Amino acid sequence: MRLAAVTAETLALGLTPGLTLADARARSPGLRVADHTPEDDALELGRILADFGRFSPMVALDPPHGLALDVTGCAHLFGGEAGLVAAVTARAAHWRLATRTALARTPETARALARFGPGGIVAPGGDAAAVAGLPVAALELDPRDLQALRRAGLRTVGDVDRRPHAALAARFGASLPDRLDRLTGRIDVRITPHRPPPPVRADRVLAEPITGEDQVLAVLADLLGEATGALEARGEGARRLVLTLYRVDGQARALAVTTARPGRDPGALLRLFRERLAALAVPLEAGFGFEQLSLAAEATAPLAPTQTETRTGLEPPGADPAALAALVDRLSARLGPGAVLRLEPVASHLPERAVRLRPALVTGGGPAADLAPDDDDAPDDAPGDPPGRPLQLFDPPQPVEATALAPDSPPAAFRWRRVTHRVVRAEGPERIAAEWWRTPRARPRDYYRVEDEEGRRFWLFRAGAYGETPPPRWYVHGLFA
Amino acid sequence: MSGTDPSAPDTLAYAELVAASHFSFLRGASSPGRMVLTALLRGHGGLGLADRNTVAGVVRAWSALKAMRGGGWSPPEAVRIGGGPGEIAWREDPMNDAALAALVQQRAQTFRLLTGTRLAFADGTPDVVAYAEDRAGWGRLTRLLTLGSRRARKGDCHLTLADLESHADDLLLIVIPPRRPEGLEATLARLQAVRPGAVWLGAAMHRRGDDRRRLDRLAGLAQATGAPLLAMNDALYHDPAERDLQDVLTCIREGVSIDRAGHRLLINAERHLKAPAEMARLFADAPEALAETQALLARARFDLGELRYAYPDEPVPPGQTPQGWLETLVARHIPHRYPDGAPPKVAAILKKELAFIAERRLAPYFLTIHDIVREAENRGILCQGRGSAANSAVCYVLGITSVDPAAHDLLFERFLSAGRNEPPDIDVDFEHERREEIIQYIYGRYGRERAGIAATVIRYRPRSAIREVGKALGLTEDVTARLASTQWGSWGSALPDSLVEQAGMDPANPVIRRALDLATRLLGFPRHLSQHVGGFILTRGRLDELVPVGNAAMADRTFIEWDKDDIDELGLMKVDILALGMLTCIRKALDLMRAHQGVELELHTVPSEQADVYDMLCRGDSLGVFQVESRAQINMLPRLRPRRFYDLVIQVAIVRPGPIQGDMVHPYLRRRSGKEPVVYASPGPPHDPDELKNVVSRTLGVPLFQEQAMRVAMVAAEFSEKEANGLRKAMGTFRGDGTLHTYEDRMVNRMIARGYDPDFARRCFDQIKGFGSYGFPESHAASFARLVYVSSYIKCRHPAAFACALLNSQPMGFYAPAQIVRDARDHGVEVRPIDVNASAWDNTLEGPGAAPALRLGLRQIDGFRQDWAGALVAARAGGPFGAVEGLMRRARLPVAALRKLADADAFRSLGLDRREALWAVRRLPDDDPLPLFAAARARELGEEPDADLPRMGLGEHVAADYQTTRLSLKAHPMALLRPVFRAEGRLTCAEVEARRSGTRVRTAGVVLVRQRPGNGNAIFVTLEDETGVTNLVLWVRTFEAYRREVMSARLLGVEGVVEKSPEGVVHLMADRLEDRTAELGRLSDDHAPVIQFSGADEIVRPQHPRNLRVLPGSRDFH
Repeated sequence: MRLAAVTAETLALGLTPGLTLADARARSPGLRVADHTPEDDALELGRILADFGRFSPMVALDPPHGLALDVTGCAHLFGGEAGLVAAVTARAAHWRLATRTALARTPETARALARFGPGGIVAPGGDAAAVAGLPVAALELDPRDLQALRRAGLRTVGDVDRRPHAALAARFGASLPDRLDRLTGRIDVRITPHRPPPPVRADRVLAEPITGEDQVLAVLADLLGEATGALEARGEGARRLVLTLYRVDGQARALAVTTARPGRDPGALLRLFRERLAALAVPLEAGFGFEQLSLAAEATAPLAPTQTETRTGLEPPGADPAALAALVDRLSARLGPGAVLRLEPVASHLPERAVRLRPALVTGGGPAADLAPDDDDAPDDAPGDPPGRPLQLFDPPQPVEATALAPDSPPAAFRWRRVTHRVVRAEGPERIAAEWWRTPRARPRDYYRVEDEEGRRFWLFRAGAYGETPPPRWYVHGLFA
Repeated sequence: MSGTDPSAPDTLAYAELVAASHFSFLRGASSPGRMVLTALLRGHGGLGLADRNTVAGVVRAWSALKAMRGGGWSPPEAVRIGGGPGEIAWREDPMNDAALAALVQQRAQTFRLLTGTRLAFADGTPDVVAYAEDRAGWGRLTRLLTLGSRRARKGDCHLTLADLESHADDLLLIVIPPRRPEGLEATLARLQAVRPGAVWLGAAMHRRGDDRRRLDRLAGLAQATGAPLLAMNDALYHDPAERDLQDVLTCIREGVSIDRAGHRLLINAERHLKAPAEMARLFADAPEALAETQALLARARFDLGELRYAYPDEPVPPGQTPQGWLETLVARHIPHRYPDGAPPKVAAILKKELAFIAERRLAPYFLTIHDIVREAENRGILCQGRGSAANSAVCYVLGITSVDPAAHDLLFERFLSAGRNEPPDIDVDFEHERREEIIQYIYGRYGRERAGIAATVIRYRPRSAIREVGKALGLTEDVTARLASTQWGSWGSALPDSLVEQAGMDPANPVIRRALDLATRLLGFPRHLSQHVGGFILTRGRLDELVPVGNAAMADRTFIEWDKDDIDELGLMKVDILALGMLTCIRKALDLMRAHQGVELELHTVPSEQADVYDMLCRGDSLGVFQVESRAQINMLPRLRPRRFYDLVIQVAIVRPGPIQGDMVHPYLRRRSGKEPVVYASPGPPHDPDELKNVVSRTLGVPLFQEQAMRVAMVAAEFSEKEANGLRKAMGTFRGDGTLHTYEDRMVNRMIARGYDPDFARRCFDQIKGFGSYGFPESHAASFARLVYVSSYIKCRHPAAFACALLNSQPMGFYAPAQIVRDARDHGVEVRPIDVNASAWDNTLEGPGAAPALRLGLRQIDGFRQDWAGALVAARAGGPFGAVEGLMRRARLPVAALRKLADADAFRSLGLDRREALWAVRRLPDDDPLPLFAAARARELGEEPDADLPRMGLGEHVAADYQTTRLSLKAHPMALLRPVFRAEGRLTCAEVEARRSGTRVRTAGVVLVRQRPGNGNAIFVTLEDETGVTNLVLWVRTFEAYRREVMSARLLGVEGVVEKSPEGVVHLMADRLEDRTAELGRLSDDHAPVIQFSGADEIVRPQHPRNLRVLPGSRDFH
C-alpha cells in the first residue's frame, strides 16, 4: 500500500505520495491513514462543480482535481476580477478545500499558472510574460520529452519559446509549438462545459405541490413507466434507481432502491419503492409539499428483451431464479441488505468454519478460501459412502460427558442434555487439527460418527488426548438424522 | 522429539517404507538425515526414502546412516546461517549425548535404508514408490527418471505408466492409493503383469474417519489383484511438530496465503514417522500389512555402496595401458618445459610421482585432464590447474599448471602423503568468456550419456526464507521486504529484536514472531537443484545408470541429481571445469602486448621473481591484480612485504576466515618481521617435541593452510585417517550438515592431553572452523599465486595493456571501471574519451608502443549494443565521420544508438559537445522508414537556424558522464563539491592520509565498497574523492547506530580518528556518519550520476542503479 495523498504537515515530515505505507509508518509511527477512494473524490468534485455553477454557467472539470471556469462577462457580478477570485476562494473554503487560483485570458494559461506557477490574476496582454518563467514541466509533455528539453539546457517555458519553433517541431513534433501557443495565449481554446452523460431520467414538474404518499406513488408510477420505456429502448435494466423529491422550500430528499438483477418491470420497481417508503427510518416530510420529482436510473445493466414464459405450474418451488431474486430484492429493500443473508461454502477443514453468511444482495466476490474442486483432501463424500458431515451443526459445540475404553476408541456411552446415550455403532476417529495460524493453542479434535441404541446418529468429538493435562473433553458437534 | 523412548525393546517389526524428505521440494519438511535418525530412534527396522521423482536426497540419508554405523553419527542437519561470507551458526541439537550415541550406533548396524523414488505420473496414474532390488534395478530406476526429466523442462519430470512398465525389471513397486481409489485395480493389474510378485498396495491410517472402511476395501483389492497390502504412513516429516512448516511449504508451493489455502493443507499432523507399536495398533485389522514391510525390506538388496566407478578410457590410444601412455606423454612433453632436459631434481620427482600414480591407478584421471587441457591449448584458451594433484611435476610437464616445481619447492608431497582413499583433486580454471567451448567439447567427446555436470542444491537463505514465509502467512510485500532487507549479517537462531525494530516492525507482534520462527526453520531447506558451476562427472559406462540426468535451464546443458558432496561420498571422479575472469584478462593483456607493443609472453614464460614487481606489491599498489586487490589484502601487502613466490602463496591464503578466526595472522606477521622468535608448539614428554616442525616449518611455525590444520589434527591430536577424513568432510564449504563441532572436543582435548598449550589447541580448531566456510589449501594458493605474479607483472610493466584488458573483461574483480581508469591514470597512462571517430567496442590502445594511451571503448556506454559498435566501426573504414547525419546514414544506426552516443559525449571529434549532439540527434528522422520512404533517408536535412542552447556546466557534464558510462575523465564529482565540504572543514582523503595517528578529522567521499569480513566485528567502508581513498573502520556498535547511513548513502560525511600502523597503513576509525547523498544533486538537475559500488560490495543493491535517482530531480514547484 502506498500513500496517495498527504497533508501539508505530513509533507513537512518528508512523507511524500508514492511512499509505501510501511515505510511511512516506520518513519512516523503515529501516522493516521484513510483509504483512498477515487470514486468518492470524483463524486465530491462533481458536487463542487455543480455548486460552482453559481459563478458562471460555463464550468468544466480540469483533471486531476481541478475546475476551469469561463468567467467571461461574470466578473462584474462579484465586484471585478479580484472580487470574483475572492468569492471563488471563499466558496472553496466553504467546501473545506485548499485552492490555488489563477485568472488569465485563456484557460490553458490559467491552468499552467495555477498548477506550475504562482497563480494570481494576469493583466491583459501579460500572458506570455507570465508563463515565460514557469518550468518546462508546465508544458505537460511526455516525461522523456521534458527530460530532453532540460538536457538541452532549456529550463523555462520562456527558454523554449525563444528557440526557433521550426527547430522545436523537428525534434519534439508539431505539438510543442502548439502547446507553446496555447500556454502563452496566442491560441485560445475555450473550455468544454461539463455536462453529465444523459442518464435515463424522468422529471415531473408539478403544477400543484403534492403532500400525500399516495400522490407521490402515483407520480412515481408515471415516472417509472417513462423510465422503463427508455431503458427498454436502450436494452438495459436498472440496478439502482434514485427518486429525488424537491420541496417547495428548496430542500430535497432522495430515495434509492437497488436490485439484485437488472430490472425494468414498472410494477416490480414500484413495489420496491413502496417497501422502501414503508421502511423509512425518517418519514417523508412533505412540509409545504413537493413541487418537482425526478427519477434517475443511476446504475443500469444490459437486459435483453425476454419472451414471457409460459409457466406450466409443474416447476418445483424455488426453482425460478428470477422469483428468488425478486424475493431477495423485496426483503432487502424492507429489512436492509445486512439482514438478508445466504450461506456460502468456505474451504476450511474446521467444520464450523466451512460455511459463512453473506448479504444475499451482494453478488460476486470470491469465497474466503479458494475451493479446489479436484482437491484430494476435500471432505466431500464419495458416491455410495455415508455422509461425512452432519446435517445440523451446533455452534458452539455442546459439551457432553462421555467414557471411552481406549485412547483411540469412540465413547461407549455419553450423556447429553441429561439423557444417557449408549453407543452401539461408531466410526472414526477423524482427526482435525486446529488452524495453528489462527488459534495456535487449540487442541486437535478426534471426531466420531456414532449411533445410539435408538438409531439416532451423532457427531461427537474429543478435544485433546487422554493422558494430557488438562484432560480431554467431549462434545457433540452435530446431528446426522 | 516427543514420544521417543530409546530404551523400549523392538518387539514389533515395522519399517516405514514410504517416507519423503525435504528433497521432495516444498512437500517434505524434514531432512533425509533427520528421517533416518528418527526412524532409527523410534525403533523402525529400516526406512524407505522415496522423494518425488528424484533421488537427490538419498546419498545424504545413506551417508548419515554410514556415519551412525561408524560411531560418528551426525546430529540432525544444522543450517548455515548468515548473509555474509564465512558466517556460520549451528542450531544446537538437544540429543547430543553419549548414551544415545552408543544406542544409535548399535541400532544402525542392522538398520536397512532403501533408496528409491516416488514416481508421480503425468497421466493420472496413482503415485508408485519404486526401490531397486539390485544394482541392475538401480540403473533402470535412474534411466527411468532420466527419461522423464529429459522430456520435461528443468525441474520437471514427465512420466507415464507405460514408461514404468518398460523399465520395471528388478524394481520393487508400492502403489500408493489416491484418496478415491477408482481405477486402482487396473493400475495394479498392469504392474502385476510386468512385475509379478514385486508389487505392493500401500495402505495408510491417517485418522480420516473412514480409515477402517478404506483399509477393508484396499484389503479386498489386494486379495483380488494378488498385490499384498503394505502398511505405510506416507511420512512427510519426522515429527508431528513439523506440521506448521509443512503447511507453509504447501502454501509456498501453491502460491497462496495460509488463510486461503483451505483444503490444500493437510487436515491433521498424522504424516510423521510413527512408532511401530502405534502402527500395530492402527493396523490391528490387517497385521499382515505390517509384516509385509519386512518382506519388502528383505528383498531390496541394493545399497548405494555398490556403485562402482570406472574412468573413461578415451584418452588412451588403442593398444596402450593408461599408465604407459601417461609415461610416454610425460617423456614427450619434457622438452617443451625444459629445453635443456629436465633438471635432476625434477627427473627424480617425476619418477616418484609416476610410481605413485601407477600404484593408485590414477593414470586415467591425469590423462582425462590432460586431454581437456590440450584441447584448450589447441583453441588458444588460457587455462591453469590447481589442487593437490595439480601441483605436481607431472602436471607442470603436461602443461596443466605453470608453477615450476624446479623453481618452487612444492607440494606434490601433500598428495603423495595423503590418505589412501582421498580422491585426486584437480580443478582447471579457464578463461571465463570461453569456458563454454570446453564444456561443449567434453559433451561432444564423452556423450551426454557419459558426461554430466554435478548439481548444486539451492537452499533457503534468510532473505528468501523470510520472503516466502511472509507471503505464505499473508504478510504484505512491504513487511516481508523490510524484514528481508534488514539482515545484512547473520541471524542466530532468531532475528534480534533490534533488527526487527529497525525495520519498523514490532518484535512482540505474534505474526511477525511466527514468520521469523518459521523462516528460521526453513533455512537450509533445498529449494531446487541447479547445475554446479563446472563440476563434471565422466564415466566409462552409462552415466544415467548411475544417477538420473536432467535438463538444465541453460540450453545444451544437462546435469545429474547429485551435488559434489554426494559425489565425494560415493567416490566418483569429478573434474572441475571452472571459469576465471583473470585468465581472460591475462590473455587479452598478452594479446594487446603482442599486437601493440611486440612483446611475446606466455603464462609460463613471464619472467619470474622481478624486484620491481614485488616493490609494487609491497606498496599495496595492487588494484586489479588477481586475488590481492581487496581492501584487506591491500592492507596486508605492506605488512607481509612479499619478496618471493612463496610469499605470494602465503599472501593469497592468509587473509581468509581460517587464519583470521584462528588468530594466526598476527603471530605469523610478528615472526616474519623478526619481532617474535620462531618456535614450534610441542607436546609434553614422551612425545616427539618436534612432531609439528615438519608440518609448519615453511610458515614459521604458524599453521596457515587448510592442509596444515589437518596435519596438526593428525599429528598433534592423533586423529586416525578415518577421523581426519570425517573432519575434512565436515569442514567442506557450505555443507548442510553440522557435524564439525562433534570433532571439537575430540581434537582440543587430545591435544591438551598430549601436553600442548590449551590456547594453541583451541586456536587450531578455531582455524579449522574458519576453513569450514572458506578453506584455502596451499595447493590452490600456489596456482593462484602464479596468476597473482603474472597479473602484477603486467600491471607493473604494461599498465595500459593491463587496464585495457581488465576493462574488456568486465564484469570481474573488485573494482568498477571508474577505479580501474583512475588507477591507470595514476600510473601515468593517458586515457582518452569515447569518441565515434576513434572508439571500437572494446577499449583499445593507441599511440606509441613504448607508452600507449588507453582509448575507452563503446562497451563502457550503458545499454550500447555490440552490433551497433560493429556497424559504426565498419562504416568508419570509409573515412572519419563529419556530421551526425552522415554518420547515421553510413552506419545505419537507429536513433536510440545515436542518443546513447550523444549522451556519452562521443561526438567531440565532430565539434559537438553532449548537449549540441543530443540536439542534433533529436532532429534525425525516426528509425527504419518503410521501404517506400527509404529514399527520404537519403535526403539531406535542411539548414536550420542555430538554437543557441545554453552551455553545459562541468558539473552537469560530470553527472552525465557518470550516468552514461559510470566514470568521468573530466573531473571527480567530489572535486566539484569540494567548496561545500571545504567550508564545513572536511579534509580530502589525501589530507586524512597525511594526518598523524590519533588526530580527529572530518572528511567525506563517495562510497566504493562496504564489507564485513571475518567474524564481523567491524565493517569496512571505502570512500573515494578526487585525491584518493579513505578506509573507514566501523565497530559493530557504530554500524548499528548508523545502519541506515551505511546501507543507503552513496556519499558519506564522516568524523573519526586517524589510525596508522607502523607499516603506514591508514584507517579512519569512524564514529559519526552523515548521509550526504543529496549533495550529488548539486551537480545537475537532470542527470543522476551513478556512483557504482565496486564488485566487492556486500550489500545487495535493492534497485538497479539506472533507476536510482540520487535526488528527486523535479524542481517543478517554485
